Amino acid sequence: MPNCLVCYKWTLDEQDIKIKSEDLSLDSSRAKGKISDFDRNAIEEAALLVEKLGGAVAALSYGTAAVKQSLKDVLSRGPEKSYWVADASAEQADATVTATVLAAAIRKIGPFDLILLGEGSSDLFNQQTAPRLAALLGLPCLSFVNKLEVEGDVVKATRKLDDSVEVVTVKTPVVISVLSEINKPRIPSLKQVLSAAKKPNQELTVADLGLTPEDLAPKAVRKSVKGFVMQRKNIIFKETAAAANVAKLKESLASLGLS
Amino acid sequence: MAGIFIFSEDRALAAQLLTPALELKAALGEPLTVLALDAAQATELSTLGADKVLVVGDSATWIEGLGEPLAALVAHASVVLVGGTLRGKHLAADVAARLKTGMTTDAKAVRIAGGKLVATRILYAGLAVCDEELPLPAVVTIRARTFLAPTTTTAAAPIEQAVAKADARVTVESVTPTSTAGVDITAASRLIAVGRGFRAKDDLKLAEDLGKVLGAELACTRGIAEDEHWLPIERYIGISGQTVKPELYLAVGLSGQVQHMVGCRESKTIVAINNDERSPIFEAADYGIVGDLYEVLPLLTAALRK
Ligand SMILES: Cc1cc2nc3c(=O)[nH]c(=O)nc-3n(C[C@H](O)[C@H](O)[C@H](O)COP(=O)(O)OP(=O)(O)OC[C@H]3O[C@@H](n4cnc5c(N)ncnc54)[C@H](O)[C@@H]3O)c2cc1C
Ligand SMILES: Nc1ncnc2c1ncn2[C@@H]1O[C@H](COP(=O)(O)O)[C@@H](O)[C@H]1O
Repeated sequence: MPNCLVCYKWTLDEQDIKIKSEDLSLDSSRAKGKISDFDRNAIEEAALLVEKLGGAVAALSYGTAAVKQSLKDVLSRGPEKSYWVADASAEQADATVTATVLAAAIRKIGPFDLILLGEGSSDLFNQQTAPRLAALLGLPCLSFVNKLEVEGDVVKATRKLDDSVEVVTVKTPVVISVLSEINKPRIPSLKQVLSAAKKPNQELTVADLGLTPEDLAPKAVRKSVKGFVMQRKNIIFKETAAAANVAKLKESLASLGLS
Repeated sequence: MAGIFIFSEDRALAAQLLTPALELKAALGEPLTVLALDAAQATELSTLGADKVLVVGDSATWIEGLGEPLAALVAHASVVLVGGTLRGKHLAADVAARLKTGMTTDAKAVRIAGGKLVATRILYAGLAVCDEELPLPAVVTIRARTFLAPTTTTAAAPIEQAVAKADARVTVESVTPTSTAGVDITAASRLIAVGRGFRAKDDLKLAEDLGKVLGAELACTRGIAEDEHWLPIERYIGISGQTVKPELYLAVGLSGQVQHMVGCRESKTIVAINNDERSPIFEAADYGIVGDLYEVLPLLTAALRK
């Protein structure tokens, strides 16, 4: 019966982020928070495993004060308990800092048999946290997993790579990162949402975890963040007669030598 | 052993890494070492400007398990460039954690400024770009085709053997190469990309017919490949799929979300066909037709055939 931990990130929904035309800076003032997309798959996979095998699932997240907004959402998706580290450092954290914080938290609240993460976070998409966490904890890591089977202390995973599909086995404890295709995350039912409010959550402070300001200072510092704007011609044909539009497009393609 | 190190298990990508590595070598005035997986790769890479080649992988079966020995080999490096395949990214992050260094994932450009490494990368799946500034030593992954391989050859660098034992805790049961239909869409100069505007697999015939006339290959969005399985996985474009830069990218019945567009936005010309005038694809297009693809595609195919 595996004792599982899921690490998830509370991120801004990128669909709500606007690019300001004056200076290409990002306007996130209207952006809502969400559980990072692939982390919903990690949470679902842990929930499915425990429904099948017994055991337990806890969730862990490191974020700014906003991370508290995620508790109800994550707890309605299966985990029995959630741990959270809220610290302003999360705003600028890189994968070095994130993995250091998560590793310190796991040393305190662990051990766990399976530690699940997403393939990449939807804002940074560093794809670093799982292997880094494993290295810091001295555990093996199976990344990019799209199928997972657990039998006793043996984990069998199918990994989808650029040019191949690989099946690997390892004994727990292990760190695993999952791809979105591994499952379809549930939409929490009203009952699950209501019961989430009654589940326990625990704050871990950076002081509790013995983290120093140096541990929380990013190595990779993000500078000059600018919205990406494409310079395109935007010549759109929208007459009601499709044939007229087609004729104009044909002309345009011909002028570019593309017909 | 200060210096710049490169590694990729992907032969072509390893050669491409030498281009930014040689620029870093010039900027830092430090030697450049290639970590090769086997003797054949070592020989191939030895004449592309490196000062030394180390063969690390002869006994290794699992690239991802090489973190510990590789970290030891590059312990005093200034910059480690790793090919951004999935295996490479896993390995690079492991090495970076062991070296306690920062790492940039999928850099588009790298340079040295003020004694630091500055790497350009995307954020929010391509909505934004930024420079990441890292103190040395730094680890960077770079995806295939971000750079061209060096074209000038040099005298062969010395090749040495280094022992690397992979993490034995993981057992590889099987590796099955993904069957590719023999088409490398990243090499195609014209692509027709299809999205969920198509209602059935058979309807892709409309795009195929146009493709024949235009000399274009079919590409698609993630949903078409991953959910519908109408086209093979290696034909989908985007942050988690392929990156392409064709002369013509004709997007049909696809909405143009950033996660898709980041894989094709460097195309020379982008053309969109979509029935929703407000669809974001039109902002990303040079030319577009607002219309039903079921009506427009046959007309366009017929018009171009003439
Ligand atoms: C973390 C993450 C990673 C992702 N990675 C990728 C990726 O790598 N690649 C990728 O492609 N996606 C990716 N996605 C998904 C992406 O966000 C979009 O959901 C997806 O690209 C949309 O696919 P689509 O354009 O085919 O479908 P839709 O968004 O549903 O668009 C269909 C379009 O067809 C048009 N249409 C409908 N009927 C017709 C008609 N009869 N004639 C003409 N037009 C019609 C509609 O107006 C609409 O614009 C990712 C998402 C996440 C969260
Ligand atoms: N701040 C965080 N708190 C908890 N888990 C995180 C955090 N950041 C990243 N992760 C986990 O690490 C995975 C990979 O993130 P990244 O390395 O940023 O792409 C995510 O899918 C999460 O599972």
